[in-house]
Amino acid sequence: MKTQLNTNTSKTKVEKEPPLKGTLVSVLFLGFFLIFTWVSVYFLFLNRL
Amino acid sequence: MMNGTWKVDARDGKLAMAHIYVAFVALALGGLAGLLQVLVRSGKFELPAGISYYTILTTHGVLLGLVLTTFFIIGFQFAAVSRTAGTLSDRVRFWGWVGFWLMTIGTAITAFYILIGEASVLYTFYAPLQAHAGFYIGLTLVVVGSWISGFAMFAHYAKWKKAHPGQVSPLLTFMSVVNMVLWLICSLGVAATVLFQLIPWSLGYVDRINVLVSRTLFWYFGHPLVYFWLLPAYMIWYAIIPKIIGGKMFSDSLARMSFILFLIFSIPVGFHHQLVEPGIDPAWKYLQVVLTFMVVIPSLMTAFSMFATFEMYGRSKGATGLFGWLRKLPWGDARFFAPFIGMLFFIPAGAGGLVNASHQLNQVVHNTIWVTGHFHLTLATTVVLTFFGAAYWLIPHLTGRVMTKAMNRLAIIQTIVWSIGMIFMSSAMHFAGLLGAPRRSAFSTYGDAPQALEWVPYQIAQAVGGTILFIGIILVLIIVTNLAFFAPKGETEFPVAEVAEQAERTPLVFENWTLWIGIAVVLILIAYTVPFIDMIQNAPPGSKGFKLW
Repeated sequence: MKTQLNTNTSKTKVEKEPPLKGTLVSVLFLGFFLIFTWVSVYFLFLNRL
Repeated sequence: MMNGTWKVDARDGKLAMAHIYVAFVALALGGLAGLLQVLVRSGKFELPAGISYYTILTTHGVLLGLVLTTFFIIGFQFAAVSRTAGTLSDRVRFWGWVGFWLMTIGTAITAFYILIGEASVLYTFYAPLQAHAGFYIGLTLVVVGSWISGFAMFAHYAKWKKAHPGQVSPLLTFMSVVNMVLWLICSLGVAATVLFQLIPWSLGYVDRINVLVSRTLFWYFGHPLVYFWLLPAYMIWYAIIPKIIGGKMFSDSLARMSFILFLIFSIPVGFHHQLVEPGIDPAWKYLQVVLTFMVVIPSLMTAFSMFATFEMYGRSKGATGLFGWLRKLPWGDARFFAPFIGMLFFIPAGAGGLVNASHQLNQVVHNTIWVTGHFHLTLATTVVLTFFGAAYWLIPHLTGRVMTKAMNRLAIIQTIVWSIGMIFMSSAMHFAGLLGAPRRSAFSTYGDAPQALEWVPYQIAQAVGGTILFIGIILVLIIVTNLAFFAPKGETEFPVAEVAEQAERTPLVFENWTLWIGIAVVLILIAYTVPFIDMIQNAPPGSKGFKLW
């Protein structure tokens, strides 16, 4: 009699993270905008010293 | 929602609506004052009958910055705790009404003294400008009333916790409690300056006042005040918007964590409003600037969470590509559109905030109209558009009506009108501020000084923007009146989002109040004790009161 191997046991269950590429790009853009504004006014400050 | 009621009880709804009516009356009067301000500031218009620009300025600031916000927030939060933690007990509701009437009577007294020209002390009312004692007494009643309402909410929360031992409280109730704890801790500062300094001084019991202490206590209150306005907007973003778009919340834990971080870091930061203030050691200013920048963390957490909620929803609807999910959002629904535009405006608002809080950069913009432009983005766009968006479902929910398609369309137009008006007004304020135009000032060319003449085109742009915004106020008042009194009868949902399946379980540690309030108090003591002692021990003789209007 053939024993059936349970192939499922060898697989580990991987929790699937939701794909959030758009979110990543959006927050990177947001960070860039914050830094850009800050640096712009910083140079204005330096120019007026 | 587990153990929650689906509809706010009619008696609780009445309490919430009472607050909302006062808020929108304040919007009408304060908005009119704002229109007059921008017209005067354009140099093309003078106020009739000898009305002072500074009377109008104080009316605008107090009615919109303090009254509209506090009333709407407390009304919204009463509805939110009733919806998520169950109908209020008779006792809680009774104290809610006591709080409401104290706040309303206080507002009436304060408004009376402003309007008769006895209290043109600007919205930041610190010494040495001296108002009639009635102005301060009225404000005290507003604050005491809000405390009573806060304690009523705490009692309701405590009852829920007792009935559900070991369970995580409903998110909107938790958030309301955090906001009222924040308000209670910060408003102790304004209560202290009003009760111990300004009232005795305005009544003539003392002749002179310590200006630096008064300003410091004001800003100890003034900055967290901004977060008291903002956190209810965040409640709507985190816990309601996902439901409106048909999606789920990205994470309950992340939302709670960001609220706790706001509670901890938004109070010991008032010195960043006083960076050019003499009499405070730069080392203490530096410490508070560092703490201010800590507030960036929960703000960015919120931005991430919002983008993630929208992207998860869009992808669940089959969106592809990097930004395909944006197309899936319900752009035609004003309940979503108005708060979403508010979120977008928070990006330049936050960027401006980082400039304000940086010591050197603050010298470029300090006391210029840039700052006015900044808080018209944060409060008058981000927060206010979110509140308008919430009013579009909250008011019909509470009055048993439904929003018609025509009103929804008008609300979309209102949001667009508001955005256009604010782009004109706030951008002009930012640019004029960078050119040195002062805030808190009526129109002047300062003897035709070339620098002051550069500001004039921007001031005309402010007037154009302000006029468009006033049209926006008229539109929102039409919508709100319709929803409260004339819209067809029916059932409107009070949307409360569920958490996404992938999200982790929420740990109970977020409700360890001793821990979080303890950390907040320790940080406040570290940031303020030494400089405060210094201000009192090494104080100059103090100032007499000034009435410059």
